[in-house]
Amino acid sequence: MSRFSQQYRDTFNWYTPGKVLVVVLALPALLIPTMVLCYIFWQAAPVLDWGFLFGTADGIGFGMTEGIFSQLVGSLLLATMACLIATPFALGTALYYRTFATPWQQRLLSAMFNMLQGIPPIVFGLCGLVVLVNLFAWGVSLLSGAVVLAVVVLPLLVLNTLTTLERIPKEYSEAGSALGLTQGAIILRLWLPRSWLQLLTGLLLAMARALSETAPIMFTATVFSGVVWPDSIFSPVTTLQTHIFYLAQEGNDPLLTSIAWGSAAVLVLLVAFFALLARLLQKSGGH
Amino acid sequence: MILRWWLSTSALLSSLTIVLVLGFLLQSSWPLIQQQGIAFIVGDEWYPFESLYGMLPALVGTVWAVVLALLIALPCGVAAAIFCAELLPAQLRGPMRFSMELMAGVPSVVYGLLGMWVLLPLLESQLDLLTGRTLLAAGLLLALMILPTIMVLSEDAIRAVRQSQREAAKSLGIGWDATLWRVLLPQAWPGIRVATLLATGRAMGETVAVMLVVGSIDRIPDPFYNFLQPAQTLTSRIGREMAEASIGSLHWAALLFCGLLLAAIAMGLSLLTQRKGAAA
Amino acid sequence: MAVNITHKVFAQEESATSLKPSQNQPSAVLTVKKLALNLAGKEVLQQVDFSLSPTGVTTVIGPSGAGKSSLLRCLNGLENRWSGAVKIDGRDIRQWPGGWDQLRRHMGLIAQKPVVFNTSIRTNICFGLLGWRQRRRADELVKTSLQQAALWDEVRDRLDTPATTLSVGQQQRLCIARAIAIKPKILLLDEPTASLDPRSKQLIEQSMLQLAQEIPLICVTHDLEQAQRLKGQVIFMCDGQVIEQAASHQFFNQPQQIETREFLRWNVCDCD
Repeated sequence: MSRFSQQYRDTFNWYTPGKVLVVVLALPALLIPTMVLCYIFWQAAPVLDWGFLFGTADGIGFGMTEGIFSQLVGSLLLATMACLIATPFALGTALYYRTFATPWQQRLLSAMFNMLQGIPPIVFGLCGLVVLVNLFAWGVSLLSGAVVLAVVVLPLLVLNTLTTLERIPKEYSEAGSALGLTQGAIILRLWLPRSWLQLLTGLLLAMARALSETAPIMFTATVFSGVVWPDSIFSPVTTLQTHIFYLAQEGNDPLLTSIAWGSAAVLVLLVAFFALLARLLQKSGGH
Repeated sequence: MILRWWLSTSALLSSLTIVLVLGFLLQSSWPLIQQQGIAFIVGDEWYPFESLYGMLPALVGTVWAVVLALLIALPCGVAAAIFCAELLPAQLRGPMRFSMELMAGVPSVVYGLLGMWVLLPLLESQLDLLTGRTLLAAGLLLALMILPTIMVLSEDAIRAVRQSQREAAKSLGIGWDATLWRVLLPQAWPGIRVATLLATGRAMGETVAVMLVVGSIDRIPDPFYNFLQPAQTLTSRIGREMAEASIGSLHWAALLFCGLLLAAIAMGLSLLTQRKGAAA
Repeated sequence: MAVNITHKVFAQEESATSLKPSQNQPSAVLTVKKLALNLAGKEVLQQVDFSLSPTGVTTVIGPSGAGKSSLLRCLNGLENRWSGAVKIDGRDIRQWPGGWDQLRRHMGLIAQKPVVFNTSIRTNICFGLLGWRQRRRADELVKTSLQQAALWDEVRDRLDTPATTLSVGQQQRLCIARAIAIKPKILLLDEPTASLDPRSKQLIEQSMLQLAQEIPLICVTHDLEQAQRLKGQVIFMCDGQVIEQAASHQFFNQPQQIETREFLRWNVCDCD
C-alpha cells in the first residue's frame, strides 16, 4: 500500500463528530474562494486577449474602451513610484532600529509601525486629499497618489525589513566589528549582501499590496476618463482599480460588464504575479 | 556621518507620519468640534444640508457589518485552518496554503465587483428584497474578504502547537475531537485572537467593496437587529460623500472626523493586538 | 527464543471503556510477533519478537538508533505503519474494540521529555479522563496517582498552579501520574529519566518498581546501571533487531551473544 493512501486511511479512518463538523464548516471557506476566482476568469474569458491588454482608449466615451493598456500602465506606475518613495525611508528606519535606536526608541518605533499598519488605507487617502492635493496644491496627480500609497506600504516594508535583519546572526555582525569595520561598512558589506533577496521579496509584496489598494488613490490620483497618458507627475492617471470601481457602478451594458470582469481578471493576475515572484525568490533564497 | 543622518531622518520622518496624519485630520475636523461640541458622535441624524452630523448611524452600521462578517468568517475560517493543519494530507498543504495567500491578496475592488453583480442579484432573488444593498450583503462580502486572513493566521497558530503535545494527548487515549477542544484550540487561541483582531481591523477599514453594496443610507437599522436594510458605514460614507463636500465646509470637516474616528478605533485594535500578543 | 504465549480468556465485559481500578483485573499479557517497521525505505524494526510477563519491569537497551523508541511508538499506535502481530491477552491490537484511542488507554506512554499541558496540575492529571463529570470528582484519583508517582508531597498544596511552573523532574513525574490516572494495563516509558536530576531519577525508579508489582512496564533506557537496578527482564536491541532477551541478572552476568558482550564492555554494537 502506498504511503499516501496509508496516511489518508489513518487520517480518515474514523468519522468523529468533530471531524465532520470541521469539514462541514471548512468546505464553504475552501470552496467559495475557489469558485469566486473561477467565476471571475470565466466572465473575463471573452474579452481577455492581447488587444484588450494593449489597446488604449481614445479618451472619449464613458469607459467604452477596447483596451485597458493605459489603466494597466497607470496602476503599475503608481505602485512602482510608491515603492520607490517608500523604500529608502523603510530601509533607513529599519536600519536605524537595528543600529542607533535605544531600547525605548525601539519599542516606540515598533508600536508605531504596528499601529500604522492597522490604520485603514482610506484614512491615508483622506489625509492625502487634505494635505497633498489641497494644501500643497499638487492636485489630483500621480505624485499625490504615489506618496499616499507609499505611506500605505511603508509599515509593510519596515516590518519586513526588520524581520529580515533580525535573522542575521549577531556573531555575523560582531565578526565584522572585530575586523574594525565601521557601522556603514557592516551594513553595506555584510548585511545587505546577505539579505537583499529577502528585501526584494518584501518589495515585491509591497508592490502587490500597492496594486490592490483602491481607496487611498480614489481621491488623490485618479480620474475615470479624459486622460490616456499622464504628461507629468502632476497630472492625474487612470488605474485598473478605479476603472473597475467606476465600471461596477455603470449598470448593465454587456460590453462594460465584460470589460470590468476583464480588468478584474488582469488585476488579480497582476497581484498574483508579484506574490508568486516573491514566493519564488523566497524559495530560491534556500532556507 | 551621512549614514547616520540618513537613518535618523528616515526614522524620524516615518514615525512622524502617524502623528502628522492624526494631526491633520484633527486640525481639519476642528471647525466641526468647535461649532457643535463633541455630542454629534452619538447623534443619530446625518443631514449635511441641515448641518446635522450624527455619527451614530454609520458607527452602528460599521459595527454591524464587522460583527456579521466575523460571525460568518470566524467559524468557517478556523475550521478551514484546522482542516488544513490537521486533516489535509501533507502533500496538499503547500498548494492549499499558497492559494489562500493569493486569495488574501485579491484586491478589494474585485470583491466589490463581485458583490455588485453577483451577490446583490442573488440576495434580491433569494430573500425577496426590494434591494440587495443591505448590511447582510456587506457582511457577507467582508466575510469573504477576511476569510483568508483568519485562515492563514489561525493555521499558523495551530501548526505552532508542538507535535509532542498532540502525541501526549493521543497517548492518553484522548480522541481527535477531545484533542482539538482541549489541547489544540486552547493553545492556538492567542494566535486565533490576534487573527480575529487583525481581521476586524481590515473589515472595518474596507472601503470600496462595502460602499458598493451597503446601500449608503444614513439610518440606524430598525429594529436595530434588522440587517436586511440598507445602511451606512464610516468608510462608505467617506467614499460616497468626499467628492461632493466642498473644501473647508462643515460637511468636509465631518467627513474628516469620520476618518479620525476610524483611525482611532484602528489604533485601539492594534494596541489590543500587541498587548495580547505580548502576553501570549 | 522462548515465546511465552499465555492464553487467557478475554472478558468482553471488561472492555475498552472500563475505568475501574486495575487491582482486581487480571494483568495484561503482551506478545509481539514479527514486528517490522519500515519508514521511508529504512528498516527501523525487523522481526521483533518478545513477550512480557504479567508484572515486572522490562528494560529495553541498545545503542541510539536501534529502534527502541520506535518500538514503543508502534506498541502504542502512535506509529501504525508496522506489520506483524501485537497481542494483548491474545487480542490483536489492530482489531481493538474502539480503535487506537481506546487501545492507548490501556498502554500508557511516557515520553523522554515531559510534556505537560499548559493548565493546572490537577487538570493535567485529569486530562485523560473522558467526560467532565469524571474530571470534577477526581480528587481521590488525583491524590492516589500523584502518590504513586511520588509527587504528592511536593504539590499537594498547589494543585491549581500551572503545571509549567514545576521543575523538569517534577513534570516527568506528573506525566507518569497522568498516565497512571487512567489505569493503563501496560506502561511504556521512553527514557523517562534521561536528562533528569539524580533525585528525580531515584524517585521515578522507585515508583516504577512499585507500579511493576501490578502491571508490566516497558522502559527504554540507555543507562545500563538503571537497567540493573530495575531488575526484571532485559531486551537488548540493535539495528532494529532483538539480539538478546534474558532476565536481568543473567543478562548482565552471563550474556549469551557476542554482540551483547561487546556492548556491555565497550558500549559499541556491530550487528551487521
